Amino acid sequence: MIVLEPLLRFVQALAYLLYTLLLALLLEWFDRKLIAKFQNRVGPHYTGPAGILQPLADVLKLLSKESVVPEGTDRLMFTLSPLLAFTIICTATAFVPLLGYRGLVSLEGDVILVLALLTLYLLVIYTAGASSSSRFSLIGATRAALMLLGFEIPLMLSCLSVAASSGSFRISEIAAKAQPRLLGIHALGFLVYLVAAQAELDRQPFDIPEAETEIVSGWLVEYSGWRLAIFRLSKDIELVLLTGLAVALFIGGGPNVPLQGFELAIATPVFLIKQLLVVFILSLIRASFGRLRIDQFIGVGWRALIPASFLYLVIAALVA
Amino acid sequence: MSIYLPIGPQHPVHPEAVQLKLKVEGEEVVDADVDVSFVHRGIEKVLETKTYVQGLFLAERICGICNVAHTTCYAINVERLAGVEVPRRALYLRLVVEELARMHSHMLWLSLLAHVIGFDSLFMLAQRDRELVLDLMEEITGGRVITSYNVIGGVRRNVDAALAQKIISTLDGLRKRVLEYKRLLGEDAILRARTEDVGYLSSSKAVELSAVGPVARASGVPYDVRECDPYLIHDEVPFNVVVYNTCDVWGRAMVRIDEVLESIEMIRYALERLPEGDVRAKVPLLIKPPPGESVARVEAPRGELIHYVRSDGSERPVRYKVRTPTLANLAALVEMLKTGRKDRPVYVADVPVIFASIDPCICCAARVLLIDEKRGSVKEVGMDEVVRGE
Repeated sequence: MIVLEPLLRFVQALAYLLYTLLLALLLEWFDRKLIAKFQNRVGPHYTGPAGILQPLADVLKLLSKESVVPEGTDRLMFTLSPLLAFTIICTATAFVPLLGYRGLVSLEGDVILVLALLTLYLLVIYTAGASSSSRFSLIGATRAALMLLGFEIPLMLSCLSVAASSGSFRISEIAAKAQPRLLGIHALGFLVYLVAAQAELDRQPFDIPEAETEIVSGWLVEYSGWRLAIFRLSKDIELVLLTGLAVALFIGGGPNVPLQGFELAIATPVFLIKQLLVVFILSLIRASFGRLRIDQFIGVGWRALIPASFLYLVIAALVA
Repeated sequence: MSIYLPIGPQHPVHPEAVQLKLKVEGEEVVDADVDVSFVHRGIEKVLETKTYVQGLFLAERICGICNVAHTTCYAINVERLAGVEVPRRALYLRLVVEELARMHSHMLWLSLLAHVIGFDSLFMLAQRDRELVLDLMEEITGGRVITSYNVIGGVRRNVDAALAQKIISTLDGLRKRVLEYKRLLGEDAILRARTEDVGYLSSSKAVELSAVGPVARASGVPYDVRECDPYLIHDEVPFNVVVYNTCDVWGRAMVRIDEVLESIEMIRYALERLPEGDVRAKVPLLIKPPPGESVARVEAPRGELIHYVRSDGSERPVRYKVRTPTLANLAALVEMLKTGRKDRPVYVADVPVIFASIDPCICCAARVLLIDEKRGSVKEVGMDEVVRGE
């Protein structure tokens, strides 16, 4: 029994990781397909039914390719960065109740831990850009770090305000109390969260650190092969994490009690459908706008997002 | 600390080989230069080895998108040299095709601007609507982009009443879409934020650096060859020269959008009043114009295009010289990249937007740049012709 317990936990963690990865690929496909529809295109089409296997095919293709390390690169950081990013983002995902009724782990204060891990993730992106020996990636990395000034405070405040009004800092407990949230005062928080999440994910109008037409693909430009594959997977998992967090905090997951029978069976699909709904909103934003300049984004962040998030904090505190 | 940031010759924002040499401090551009000498093709030299009829097809390939402007310019030059009288119906049809080419060029430009800003939905939609124009082009000329429609002495194909009706009704549909884009440019906050006050070029600088086309007209310079030197039947077809005074990229976008709308009206007017008669004068296959020279100016979608030809009485020109609009706008481009407006510097993120705003066609410009060394005498002859009111 003493031996079996850790083994069981290990298998559990592995299964959860596998589910996260599958979900990441599914959400990427959904996002790509949606954007294509918005833009009057077909989108992924050939691999699997309606192209659903395309993200997987992309990852496999990248894994099979050479991963070039440019001359003059800090080789250690260049290799460590994708691995660290992947590890950090997977760790953070373990706290989000992706199964609808539970995540992999849950502890008091995990909402703060997840937010801290997200900041750490951006730090890794900075080292990734700064360690590759390209002017474009250096500019991209600087932009990524600057972006943090604009969206980190709103992201944290919106999450923590929800937590405060629920009287708990445990994600699963907040999720249990969150059921009809969207209809009430939390709509403002949800809005702030969505905008900040869009910035965290580097999607239009905030795809400033990557900005293909300006700095090629910013901090990511020198990455290829398995390193790029891992970064891309991390970005997909980041989408899973942020949409999952949105559902858990603002739309509501399942009740925080052991479920049985039918309720248990539908908990995961229901959570997934809610997640797809959030992805839909994020995709719609992505398809509807151009890209802001970095100075304009910081302006938007400090003039609109941060005041709005403070307003939300006050409202949430008054109601709670 | 300033770093040297070379944009190009390989860069996703522009498919052509061009290098913008930027000196940047953080996100601000402090110095800029442009190098366009990667794709010299020597077309001017080759034109001297071709007969006048063969040369037409080479002139067409100077620029893919502006090919109609180039053939118009070439054909006008040869017709003037050889004294060919072009039927009036052909002039009308040349105008129709020229304006259609302007429309698809401007719509392509709009989609590229959207792409540069990262607004890929607008990119896709503008490309889709551009297809309507290309389909019309195919029905009229047989080619979607490279048309080979102009020939010495007229045009290759006639347009019958049914096709004329179809063109008009298709353009009516397109007009609604273009008005939608115009509304978008006026209302979309991010589009405006990325283009307003970006790429500032004052009216005096525009004149001083001899900017042409939409770049000049967005800086309040009402310079349009169609208006000041009508080369087809522009004095018979009413149109407005679109001028904006904003001096920025937004103004250039609005000039182009409004020109698309103007083009639609011009095409409608010309098609409704198509004169009867031939579309092509009889011209021998081996033209031997008398000795002399000619300069023709055409308002290409990108701006004023100048062709100069000199004949010694043989079947081949002894000198052919082309000044494309992009070359004329390069000096203005460097000025825009270097200097911002008042307290607003040029950011790295502005560079692709500014660069796209002149609608650069590098392979046209590069061909001319190498000729620079012996520019002196050649250019002066050309300018004399212009002054004489050719």
